[in-house]
Amino acid sequence: MIKLKVLAVMLGWMLLVPPGLAAPVCATDDLEVEVCLDHPAKRIAALSPGATELVWAAGAGDQVVAVVAFSDYPPAAKNVTSVGSHTRMDMERLLQLQPDLVIGWVTGNPSEQMAILKEMGMPVFSIEPRSFEAVSHTIERISVLAGTESAGYTEAERFRQGISTLKAQYDSADPVRVFYQVWDEPLMTVNGEHLIGEMIELCGGDNVFGSLARLVPRISAEAVVAANPEAILAGGMGEENRHWLTRWTAFPTLAATTQNNLFFIPPSLVQRPTPRMLEGTRLFCEKLEVARDRRS
Amino acid sequence: MMRPIALPLSVLAIASLLSMIISVGVGSVAISPAEVWSVLIGDGSGLQRTLVLELRLPRTLSAFATGGLLAVAGALMQVLLRNPLADPYVLGLSGGAAVGALFAMLAGLGGALVSGSAFAGAMLATVMVFGLAHGTGSWSPSRLLLTGVVVAAGWGAVITLMLAISPARELPGMLYWLMGDVSYARAPWAGLGLLALVCLIVIPLGRSLNVLARGPMQAAALGISVRPLEWLIYVLASLLTATAVTMAGSIGFVGLIVPHMLRLVLGNDQRLILPACALAGGTLLVLADTLARTVIAPEQLPVGVITALLGVPTFLYLLHRSR
Repeated sequence: MIKLKVLAVMLGWMLLVPPGLAAPVCATDDLEVEVCLDHPAKRIAALSPGATELVWAAGAGDQVVAVVAFSDYPPAAKNVTSVGSHTRMDMERLLQLQPDLVIGWVTGNPSEQMAILKEMGMPVFSIEPRSFEAVSHTIERISVLAGTESAGYTEAERFRQGISTLKAQYDSADPVRVFYQVWDEPLMTVNGEHLIGEMIELCGGDNVFGSLARLVPRISAEAVVAANPEAILAGGMGEENRHWLTRWTAFPTLAATTQNNLFFIPPSLVQRPTPRMLEGTRLFCEKLEVARDRRS
Repeated sequence: MMRPIALPLSVLAIASLLSMIISVGVGSVAISPAEVWSVLIGDGSGLQRTLVLELRLPRTLSAFATGGLLAVAGALMQVLLRNPLADPYVLGLSGGAAVGALFAMLAGLGGALVSGSAFAGAMLATVMVFGLAHGTGSWSPSRLLLTGVVVAAGWGAVITLMLAISPARELPGMLYWLMGDVSYARAPWAGLGLLALVCLIVIPLGRSLNVLARGPMQAAALGISVRPLEWLIYVLASLLTATAVTMAGSIGFVGLIVPHMLRLVLGNDQRLILPACALAGGTLLVLADTLARTVIAPEQLPVGVITALLGVPTFLYLLHRSR
C-alpha cells in the first residue's frame, strides 16, 4: 500500500520532469505477482463483471477491449466485445482482441486458462478485493497500469472518504442483529471476514453468523430461527423474487418478522466489490436505521 | 485376413485426419484454410500463429488423444468384465481422479499440481479396487465389477461432500472439472504416445482377447493363461483412463458408446476393434470439441454435452438397424 503510493508519487515526479519518454509501469497483484508493462496499457481485457467496473472506476473505461458475460455496468460496458463467461472463456476471441493487459479474477477465472495466457507472455493482473480498502487500492493499482492515475486516485479517494464518512456516522449506533441472505436454496450467508460482513459491521450491525469459519457458510433455516435476527437483508434475487424474504413470515416468533424488518437490497450494489458498494453500504445502513426506528 | 482389417482402419484413419483438419481450421476467429496452411508450414502472422499453434493444435491433439484413450479403455473394460455396460469409469477411476483434483483445488493448488493429484487419485483408485477385489477369496470379473461399483459410489459421496464444504466461489471451477473439458489440456504428446504404445501391446493379444470375451473357461481350455491376461488388461485400461482423466477431466460417454458402435458395424474382432476404437474415439471427441467451442461462441459448451448429443442418435440408429 505504502509502497504503491511511493511508486505513484515517483511516477508523478517522472511525468513532471521529462515529458516524453514513456516509462514502464508496475503494480503488484493479489497473487503477490509484480506486473510490469513497458508503457501504460491501451487495450485492457477485464475478465469479470467486477473487474470491468473497477477498470471504469480507474478512469480507463475507454481502453477496455474485452469483457465477459454479465458485465452490465457501467452501461457502456455492454457495447464491449464479450469473450464468453468468466468460467469458460473463448481464448481465440480474447487473443484476437490483442489485449496488452488482462485483469483476471483470482477465484473466478479458471487457473488453467490464466496459466495459458501467462505462458503466452500476456501480462495478467489478478485481483480479489476482500475489503473496502482493497477496492480503493485495486482501483489505484489498475489506474497505474492503465496510465490514468489522476482519475483512478481521485475515485479511490472518493470511495475511501465516502466509506469513512458512513463509518463515522454509524460508529456509535445501537447494534442490530442482522442476517444477510446471499442465496435461498441452499440458504447461504456471509461471515465476518467477507466484504459484506465488513459492511454489516460498519453500519452498526451484528452479523449473527459472523463467527462461522467459512467465508460463505451454508446454513439451515432452523439456525436462522435460533439466531433470531432483528433484521434480514437479502440480495441475490431480483426484485420480483420476493419469496426469498416472505418465507420468513412463516416464522412469527422471529424478531425480524414481528418487526417487519425484511429488506431487499439490490445485489449488484452489495455483492460486487466495486465503488458502487458505497451506495450499497449507504442503503444497507439506512435499512438498519429503519430497524432501529421500529424498536419503540 | 489383412484386407478386412486394413479397409475399415484406413477409412477411420482418413476420418481422423479430416476431423483434425476441420478442428484446426475452424474457430471463433476466422482463419482461411490457406492461412492455416501457411502457419503450419512456418509462415503466417503473429496472431494467426498463436491461435493455430498454441490454441487449436494442442487442443485438437489433446481431444484426439483423450477420445482414443477413453474408447480403447472402454473396449478393454467390456472385454475384461464381460459386461456391455462397462465403461472406463465403471470401476471408480474417474471418482478417484476427481477427488485428487478437487483436493488439490481445495488446497489452493493450480495447473500441473491439479493434474498430478488427479493422476495419483486415479492410480490409488485402481490399486484399491484391485487389492479389495483380490481379497482373500477368488478373483473374478463379477467380483471386480462389484468392488469397483461400490468404490465408485464411495468416491461419489466424497465428491459431493467436498463440493458441499468447499467455498462457494471455488464451485464453478470444480463443476467444470467434473464435467470434463479439453480446453485446459496443453500437452497431448504423453497421451498420444501411450495410446500408440497400448495399441501396439494389445493388437498382438487380439486373438486371446477374442477368446476371453467368450468366457474364461473356454479361454483356459484353449491354453490361454487367463489370470495374467486379465491383470494386464486391467492395468492397461486403468493407465489409459487415468491419463485421459488427467488430461481433460471425466468426459462421459465416449468410452461406452464408441466400442459398441464399432462392434455393430465391424463385428467383434478385438484385433480390429481396439485400433478402430483409438481412431474413432479420437475422431468423435475432436469433432465434438470443435462444435463445443464454436456453436454458441464466445460462450463455450462442455464437450460431454456434444459427445452425448452426437453419440446417442447415432448409436440408437445403428442398434435399430442391426436388428
